[in-house]
Amino acid sequence: MRRARRIFTLLCFWLLLLGMIAGCNSNTNGNDSKNEKNNDVVTLKMIESLTSPSRTKLLKEMIQKFEEANPNIKVELISPPLQSADEKITQMLMAKEDLDVLEVRDQTVKQWSNNGFIEDLSRYTNNWEYWDSLNDAAKHGATSIDNTPYFIPYGIYQKTLFYRKDWFEEAGLEVPKTWDDLYKAAKALTDPSKNRYGYSFRGGAGSSDYVEFMTWAYLGDKINPADGYFTKDGNPMFSTPEAKQALEMFIKLYKDASPPDSINWSYPEMVQGFTSGMTAMLIQDPEVINTCIENMEEETWATAPLPKGPESRVAQQTLGTAGWGITSYSKHKDEAWKLISFLSHPEQNLYFAKNNSLIPIHKSAGEDPFFKEGYFSSYIEMNSKPDEYLIADRPVHYKGWGQFRATAEKDIQALLLGKSSIDSVLEKWSDYWKKEKEQQNN
Amino acid sequence: MLFSSLFNRGEENMKMETKPTPQPIFNISKHGMFILLCLLPALLLVSIFIYYPLCKGMIMAFQNYSLFDLTNIRFIGLQNFKSVIVNPDFKQALINSFYWVFFSLIFQFMIGFVLALMMRKKFRGRGIYQAFVFFPWAMSGFLIGLIWRWMFNGQGGVINDLLLKMNLFDTPIPFLADPKWAMASVIMANIWYGVTFFGIMLLAALQSIPEELYEAAKMDGANNIQQLFHITIPYIMPTIIATTLLRVIWILNFPDIIYAMTNGGPAGSTHILSTYMLEKIIYDQDYGQASAIGVIIMILLSFFSIFYLLATKFNKVGDF
Repeated sequence: MRRARRIFTLLCFWLLLLGMIAGCNSNTNGNDSKNEKNNDVVTLKMIESLTSPSRTKLLKEMIQKFEEANPNIKVELISPPLQSADEKITQMLMAKEDLDVLEVRDQTVKQWSNNGFIEDLSRYTNNWEYWDSLNDAAKHGATSIDNTPYFIPYGIYQKTLFYRKDWFEEAGLEVPKTWDDLYKAAKALTDPSKNRYGYSFRGGAGSSDYVEFMTWAYLGDKINPADGYFTKDGNPMFSTPEAKQALEMFIKLYKDASPPDSINWSYPEMVQGFTSGMTAMLIQDPEVINTCIENMEEETWATAPLPKGPESRVAQQTLGTAGWGITSYSKHKDEAWKLISFLSHPEQNLYFAKNNSLIPIHKSAGEDPFFKEGYFSSYIEMNSKPDEYLIADRPVHYKGWGQFRATAEKDIQALLLGKSSIDSVLEKWSDYWKKEKEQQNN
Repeated sequence: MLFSSLFNRGEENMKMETKPTPQPIFNISKHGMFILLCLLPALLLVSIFIYYPLCKGMIMAFQNYSLFDLTNIRFIGLQNFKSVIVNPDFKQALINSFYWVFFSLIFQFMIGFVLALMMRKKFRGRGIYQAFVFFPWAMSGFLIGLIWRWMFNGQGGVINDLLLKMNLFDTPIPFLADPKWAMASVIMANIWYGVTFFGIMLLAALQSIPEELYEAAKMDGANNIQQLFHITIPYIMPTIIATTLLRVIWILNFPDIIYAMTNGGPAGSTHILSTYMLEKIIYDQDYGQASAIGVIIMILLSFFSIFYLLATKFNKVGDF
């Protein structure tokens, strides 16, 4: 009896262990292979990165259409939380976990292609009928690393100026065309006693992006567009007098026309500040258009092209792109491409871009009234004047890029708090990029 | 204790049994073998899920391990530690960690203790009240950070709104924007979160104190304060030592609230070691340096634990 009890106890412990190990192993694989054998059904695993509940719903809807058109392909969508999605995908790639289609972004493409995680899609794009229908921005994004298409963008993120049309009319102000205009208007509209400020300032995470495109605007065509943090003569952009002017303007905007709390603001607070009626101007990506439509009354707000540098008379920014790529170790690359080409079809992409508030990837979309008129028209205007609205690439191909952003964000806050001087910060950044370039060249 | 039972109890059993038993293999009795076999599954799981990542992390601390280029992973000796230590941000994070742990712990403990004392006596609706008090402990730290971030918001935050309505201040305080306030604000959020842990643990300990002790003390004429210092605190001392030690470890390893509230800002003024480590992973993608910070945290906590247990005569704490 006692012996039987002992054996039973022991058995329980080991069964528990086996159960846990079996639990860790995803059993969908087994089902897949069974399915594949029986019905020739291929299951693709797809992961997204810039996840949001509404976007996931939209994607699932499109995937369903794809599955209906391709009954022998099933798609399993994984939607990790936005905050840690890229890290999660990287870890899955490092462990060579089952993945076929993945969301690749301008921020991750270099790292993933460097490590051989993602497939060069040129053998597919060479025969793709819609490759030449892609607009320049989409093509540029797709081939930004080593001139190789590692992903097909699903949309373009570009910044534009959002402003309170009603407040501007009330105060008799013109829509700002340069950073000087923007500062003057922002200052005129600031009234702390009414909790009203001119500008939705970003001093928290992501603040270095704002210093970046302001500096680019001030430097204009002196910037080397392929190596965005350096001027055409090879010096770091932060070593120029224009960079100093831009940074001075950046600080003035915070001190004279922005909420004091905005030293810590990042995306949600900036947008909330604008939509809740605290700030008069905001510079953000196109997805904010949907947020504004949902939260603000029509005719109270509008969009305008980005402000230009006072002397350069140009504005300059980077193109944010994200899209779909294939893992280098996928066993179903042809099916994966089928899915990507379906999602990137002009019709599907237009539907996705409209519902997700993004700039579409095909030239034909420019004719669509949704983008031609209304809130998106500022983008169409910017893209139709490539001499005034320049495009530059961020130095994502440098190893120190990520570290620079972290350092710069701290330095920017120290500057705003008056704990460091503009000269010392610019000198630090210039030295940083000089060293990066030296290391890159070695 | 465990090992003594593994080797000795079998022998005791053998002595008690009259019929001869076969010679145990490797000098481990049958009973010991049984215990070993029972422990093995757990040991395997612990090794796979705790010791393997731990060792891997420690090895990474000595490697050039950057996500930017995984094709170039190699040993670089103490280079990661050097790079981390010479960085002024690390020094700032180390000092901040001290403030973060010290003030969080003191207030969490004191408020938690008072709460536990208050809930010790039976009153109507105590169960529901307890559930409400313990609620924060069940929430995710990141979520708590996000909630407090909006509450401390300098413009539309509820805390500023209340302060202004009570006429305590004329202008809103930029809690998370001013380095003087930012650290205090994140500590306040952490106190709110951690109070309940002490509340739960100390209440459990308090309920184990025999009522007779208090009755006897009352008969001897001891007042409430004397009862507190001569019965309550000495009786629950092992719990106090164990919980405070655990909390020190957890608070130092708890970046969630700071990460969500300030992300270490403004200008690095709220970075603690664990948030600084996260920054190395998320921004720099340098797992080598991040692991080096992890190892430094582990060394600091090991030293602290040893000194703390020695100073508080750890043998009274019991098995934990």
